[in-house]
Amino acid sequence: MMQGGFKRKSKAASEIPSSSLADMAFLLLIFFMVSTTFRKEKKREVEIPDAAATEKLDTPRKDVQHVFVEKGGTVFINDHQVPIDQISGIIGPEYAANQGLIIVIRADEDVQYQWIDAVQKQLAEAGAVRVTFYTNVEQRFSRERR
Amino acid sequence: MALMRKKNRVGGEIPTSSMADIAFLLLIFFLVTTVFDEEKGLSIVLPEPQETQDVAQKNVLHIVVQADGLVRVKRGESPQETLHKADEIASIWRLAYSENDKLIAAVKTVPEAPYRYMIDVLDQLTEAKATRISLQMLEQ
Repeated sequence: MMQGGFKRKSKAASEIPSSSLADMAFLLLIFFMVSTTFRKEKKREVEIPDAAATEKLDTPRKDVQHVFVEKGGTVFINDHQVPIDQISGIIGPEYAANQGLIIVIRADEDVQYQWIDAVQKQLAEAGAVRVTFYTNVEQRFSRERR
Repeated sequence: MALMRKKNRVGGEIPTSSMADIAFLLLIFFLVTTVFDEEKGLSIVLPEPQETQDVAQKNVLHIVVQADGLVRVKRGESPQETLHKADEIASIWRLAYSENDKLIAAVKTVPEAPYRYMIDVLDQLTEAKATRISLQMLEQ
């Protein structure tokens, strides 16, 4: 009676197959290697201002041109310092080559407004009218502190 | 002579058992170092260089950003100015816009004022859904 079919052990493998583990890992690895893009430009010492209404831009990277404005009003484009009156000479041809270009101004929060105004005038002269002021999302607690 | 003929018994294959570990190590490295460098900020469209529009004074809300961060607000032709903090601009705009939907915000910033005060005002205007904004420098 006790030797019925009940005691027979199941022969199905109870382990997760691990032979394809390496393949999966490589697949993910290759995905991340391909999708990682390293920064084109060097980091600049700019303190980005905060704004609660900050919006994300869904612009492809090739349509974005950064303009850095550092504390003293020095302007950097593509890692080169540019005198303010020559900005339109650089942006102009770029805008002519790519009409969808968006200029992202990454300016230090303490920079005097006259430099920002000069940059804007240069950009308008170059025809690059779509401009974004780069800001960080403002958290509520930092707003209450002010 | 027998000693000389002994074959080398060391395996001639690369060990592949740690392959998965190496792959995972690299995978984790790329996972951690990948930053999606997204663009964000406050967008605005600058006027074309030749394009100057004449706007009736009654449709203009003058906002003057001072070097100390306080903001002077003047409504169109009315000579009276009021002094505000930057974070009151959104409600001022909403009130003024509800009375006149042709309103344009003319943000004039003092040349030596820090950039962030202009951003504070622009932030408030964007938050209040203002679309017609003009950024200028205050001529002295």
